[in-house]
Amino acid sequence: MTIEAAVPESVLLRWARAEGMAQIEQYRRAGGYDAARRAATEMTADQVIEIVAASGLRGKGGAGFPTAQKWKFIPRAGPVKYVVVNGDEGEPGTFKDRTLIEGCPHLLVEGTLIAAVTIGARRAYIYLRREYHRARRLLEAAIAQARQAGFVGERIFGSEHTVEIVVHTGAGAYIAGEETALLESLEGRRAMPRQRPPFPAQAGLYQRPTLVQNVETLCHLPVIISLGPDRYKALGPPALFSVSGAVNRPGVYEAPLGISLRSLIFGHAGGMPPGRRFKAAFPGGISSVFLTEADLDVKMDHDSLRQAGTMLGSAAVIVVDDSLDMVEVMARAVEFYRDESCGKCTPCREGTAWIAQVLERILCGRGRVEDLALIESIAAGMTGTCFCPLGESVPPGLVASLRLFRGEYERRIAQGEARAV
Amino acid sequence: MPSEAVRATVTLVIDGREVTAPRGTTVYQAARAAGVDIPIFCYHDRMPPLGACRMCLVEVEKMPKLQTACTLEAADGMVVSTTSPAVAAAQASILELLLSNHPLDCPICDKGGECPLQDQAFRYGEGRSRFVETKRDYAKPISLGPVLVLDRERCILCWRCVRFGEIIAGDDALKGFERGFASAIGTPFGLPVESKFIGNAIAICPVGALTSRTYRFRARPWDIEPVASSCAHCGLGCAVWLDVRGGEILRTRAREDPGINDVWLCDLGFFGHAYVAARDRLTTPLVRREGRLQRASWEDALGVVAERLRASLARGPGRVAFLGGRRLSNADAAAAAWFFRAVARTPHLDHRVDASPDGASLRVGWGLRSSLEDLARGDVFVLVGCDLTEEYPVLWLRIKAAIDRGARLVIVHSKRLEIRAHARCEIICRHDQLAQLTAELAAAVAQHGGAGCGASRIDLAANIMATGSRVHLLLGRFALDGPGGCDLLRSAQALSQRAGVTLHIARGRGNDIGAARLGLLPGEGGMHAPGILRGAAADGFDLLYVAGSDPATTVDDRAAWDAARMGVGFLVVHEAFLSATAQAADVVLPALVAPEKDGTITNLEGRTLPLRAVVAGPGRARADQEIFELLAARLGVVRGHVAAAPVGSVVPTPVETAHAAGAAQEPAAAGGAAPPLVLAVSEHLFTRGSMTGRCPGLAELVGTAHCLIHPSDAARADVAHLDLVELATEHAALVVQARVSEDVPPGQVLLPRGHDTAPAGALVRWSPAPVGVQIRPIAPSGGAEP
Amino acid sequence: MTQAARDEIRRLIGLYEHRQSALLPALFVAQQEEGCLSPAALGLVAETLDLPVTEVTSVASFYGLFFLEPAGRHVVHVCTNLSCMLNGCQRVLGRMQEVLGIRPGETTPDGRFSLRTAECLGACDEAPSVLIDEDRWAAVKPEDVEPMLDRYG
Repeated sequence: MTIEAAVPESVLLRWARAEGMAQIEQYRRAGGYDAARRAATEMTADQVIEIVAASGLRGKGGAGFPTAQKWKFIPRAGPVKYVVVNGDEGEPGTFKDRTLIEGCPHLLVEGTLIAAVTIGARRAYIYLRREYHRARRLLEAAIAQARQAGFVGERIFGSEHTVEIVVHTGAGAYIAGEETALLESLEGRRAMPRQRPPFPAQAGLYQRPTLVQNVETLCHLPVIISLGPDRYKALGPPALFSVSGAVNRPGVYEAPLGISLRSLIFGHAGGMPPGRRFKAAFPGGISSVFLTEADLDVKMDHDSLRQAGTMLGSAAVIVVDDSLDMVEVMARAVEFYRDESCGKCTPCREGTAWIAQVLERILCGRGRVEDLALIESIAAGMTGTCFCPLGESVPPGLVASLRLFRGEYERRIAQGEARAV
Repeated sequence: MPSEAVRATVTLVIDGREVTAPRGTTVYQAARAAGVDIPIFCYHDRMPPLGACRMCLVEVEKMPKLQTACTLEAADGMVVSTTSPAVAAAQASILELLLSNHPLDCPICDKGGECPLQDQAFRYGEGRSRFVETKRDYAKPISLGPVLVLDRERCILCWRCVRFGEIIAGDDALKGFERGFASAIGTPFGLPVESKFIGNAIAICPVGALTSRTYRFRARPWDIEPVASSCAHCGLGCAVWLDVRGGEILRTRAREDPGINDVWLCDLGFFGHAYVAARDRLTTPLVRREGRLQRASWEDALGVVAERLRASLARGPGRVAFLGGRRLSNADAAAAAWFFRAVARTPHLDHRVDASPDGASLRVGWGLRSSLEDLARGDVFVLVGCDLTEEYPVLWLRIKAAIDRGARLVIVHSKRLEIRAHARCEIICRHDQLAQLTAELAAAVAQHGGAGCGASRIDLAANIMATGSRVHLLLGRFALDGPGGCDLLRSAQALSQRAGVTLHIARGRGNDIGAARLGLLPGEGGMHAPGILRGAAADGFDLLYVAGSDPATTVDDRAAWDAARMGVGFLVVHEAFLSATAQAADVVLPALVAPEKDGTITNLEGRTLPLRAVVAGPGRARADQEIFELLAARLGVVRGHVAAAPVGSVVPTPVETAHAAGAAQEPAAAGGAAPPLVLAVSEHLFTRGSMTGRCPGLAELVGTAHCLIHPSDAARADVAHLDLVELATEHAALVVQARVSEDVPPGQVLLPRGHDTAPAGALVRWSPAPVGVQIRPIAPSGGAEP
Repeated sequence: MTQAARDEIRRLIGLYEHRQSALLPALFVAQQEEGCLSPAALGLVAETLDLPVTEVTSVASFYGLFFLEPAGRHVVHVCTNLSCMLNGCQRVLGRMQEVLGIRPGETTPDGRFSLRTAECLGACDEAPSVLIDEDRWAAVKPEDVEPMLDRYG
């Protein structure tokens, strides 16, 4: 078992973990806002996009789409464009965006400014989930400080660019983290995903070209511009992993993309608490397919995890130990999706509810042997038929649990039948 | 290849067949056009696709996942399968999921037999369910107002009804509440739905979740016979199916007519048929004897009327007058015109019973000046004193569609209209200021023609008008017959002199337009309707004859009617009910109503439309035409053959019809200062008239008799919201509920017309000047909602 | 609603290019003011934003943090998602129910607390996580519950 050494030089957490980074003076003394100043005053949009492309930065919200490519989809012309920051961090197990904002809100402000001047947006909305009260207060204060300094508002850094930043909070809906649902929510409607095409880059907020970008993604931008793409890439490239569940030191860890799951859990997070045994881990939040002990050496990057049948998602590792059986874990996950489904499409709305009912029945000792095939069949009916990724997240993990932990289901059913007799 | 970029069609393969479709159509539309049936629930072809129900999934080569045919644009070279094993499996899954929480109470469901869910479960479903859990459980069906019943258990959340309100009607009537599995459509807190179009939501519901209270449990679709006819209520003449069983109309449905109502109707049309079968229909003639109306034979009654007419004719021509026409068919109207002109030898006949003598209604031809289709192509709509959803609801749907395509709406009125959210500019002023404002608007348009506009509302409205190329200006009754109506009409006519501006007189209900065209207007030297009433009051007539109208409730000035009745020696009325007018008559002749007659009517745009006799009339009631012909025969005149009017073509009313409108002398000018509180009477779609009052749902939709008053005036009069108040003019007083609202401007009390317990006509007298009113609280509301 | 609340809603409208975008923030203002989103409060929000009350109510009912029924002066959210479940949130929730004498979804008879379960609060590093009003409580143990609640009057 090899455990990689901790990253020698942390580049993102360095900002979030340093003292006083909510104060603009402190942030500027450490070199803050230099990257945004350069992007606004010295660099062309093409230069910024080129650097971001060279850095290999991919979206940190879940889908992992190459950031520079997304920017290129935004039409150059057109008077009104928007940057919308996705801070609706709702994927269970994920708390890196909150950590970044609470540690260093200016990093997000600066990243937002860079994105806005690059695509030519005069207005940016930061959509924060409502539960992040502390992050909201710090962020609003940071924006006020930046405005005072001439970095937000008209002619920022003395340039021709005008960028207004407004913090908007959600109201308790996981689905608002889906980018088109987030736009609906930002427009004051029910957060129900939109049909794509058109994509937000063509017709997003108020039907205008809109760049929707995750908090962490934007926080990488000042770092990329400061370090240059080559140094940035040489650092991993760096990524933030939220690690939680049955571990000794839950928290956000910065590590190179491609670090092994084992290193994250047993190195950074200090391994399992005494007396608890590793059972499974979700590598990318509850929406990813869990991995088992056999997979511990998988590399935590987009391609490796896809090959392993799962995904990096929001890079949120949830470690499950033997205190829970997989039926409980899956019942909890499916309940979550049932409660957070927007209700727009049939398979997600009805399928999650049905499966949750069946799992609940099994947990209560009223399971039937044929229920396992039934769950597989309902899951199959949801696969590839849902409107958006929320419903599509349910079947893979569920089916994997039936394959890898079938015994735990069968035990529950058998116990129930025994009691009934 | 060069033509590739501009090719207007795409060619794809659907189920092995090559299909060519216009570029931009969806796979669903292309398949449908080629006769390939793809099952749908949420898709409705009058709304953009939603992609929610997932029933229309198809397999497309080179695409990794199944695609919803309703949202996928057809592209060249696509190879689509609607029947592959993957598609069949997906369809079976979606159906099983939809049915998992559907009650399967088909045997008692109104939708049974015409239910897309039932049909598709039969065709694409597994025929068995593996669902053994407890179904979603809601309390029994809930009533959302007088016409709508919602059964949430049956709802499959296709969102059609919600989107109808958002996209087609623009009234946001029904909405989704909660989310996910708990999602349910409905109204906030289960309050009555507020809509003029909810019948459409019932019609497009693909299951039995939305049903009509009047049709619930009444019939099965295979038992009823649909008959194509036209709606004769508001004057647009929407195409309808009347579903008939056993001599009774069970429901009205929209019949597709792209020229008029497309596939929609308003609730007056949907729920306005029950009066036909009302128990109190008149079945025999009534003759007043010993002061009471008593049953009589036709022989007897016609004899009495003929005798009176003969006596009058013996004294000379022109001593008989006729009022009415709105509720006549074209054949009836032609017979009436012939009878009074040729047989009764009088020029005093007029269908414009509700016109005021000083207003502009008598000085201009009624109706639209273009077809509805042309109107719907407009890019600017200006409504002056025209409350579309209260007067011509389906016309609003056409204009709403135009607005969605970029047209702009300007509203000039004395209250905020319910469609105001769709307006670019809204000008609210007191009723007596409408004319002045319209004059200012005309001046602003003439002056700067759209350039260099100021910031006022008038300037904004002028700018919108001046920058439109197909401007439609609609004047309603509220404008035409209000204070200064003639001045207002002149300003509007001046505006319509501009290129691209069309002036419409949004006036007339039922078959008013047909009545006008067939001659129910004053002849040479004849009096108009108010003149006839004044003449009758002055003992100028031996006999007053009313058909297809209820002047006792529709004449603006109730006292003028009462005086006419008192003054005239003899009153003959054709009626279906013992209406207020009939009660005052000397002879009442029982008449058939529209759905009992074959014939035609002419709508507001001048289009002749079919009427079909779908049920037989009650007792010995007769068509008006027949009555006039029988009466003529009594007088020794036999009517020759009359050719029926052709159906379908549009002949718009010419602009210059003022001459035909009869002796309309210039009205007296309004003098003096306006009173501090002005009474304005507004139009209402749902009224308690003799027909609508007998349609159960509609009669309840009318609600409590009320008036609207601005908070500042309410405070001055010490009136609180929902208090009972007395409204008093110098002529009379009545009691209504006060609704304190900023929807009306200060200095005005707005009283809706058409409530039987608050007859607006009793409060006012015909006068060119605004009517002053006093308001006084008589009982506090205690805060109860109506 | 107070004038200050109405003014705040008007200020919010100014932050957006379309007024409906101010709906969610405006609903929070109204909820703060009235304790919950009663039909009257929803009507006032609809009027101030000039939106149909049907739409306003529909939107409010979609989101978990709007209360259409009367809620307590303090709202306690106990996270029950997986990471907190693996760290004993059920014991915390159980203790919470004992101390307050209510079940999730209910409000104490004195109107002081409403208890709700929450999906992931984004504080899995502090599991089990509890949110009381705007305060996040980290690594809550059953014995912490009583003193914690005591701080909310």
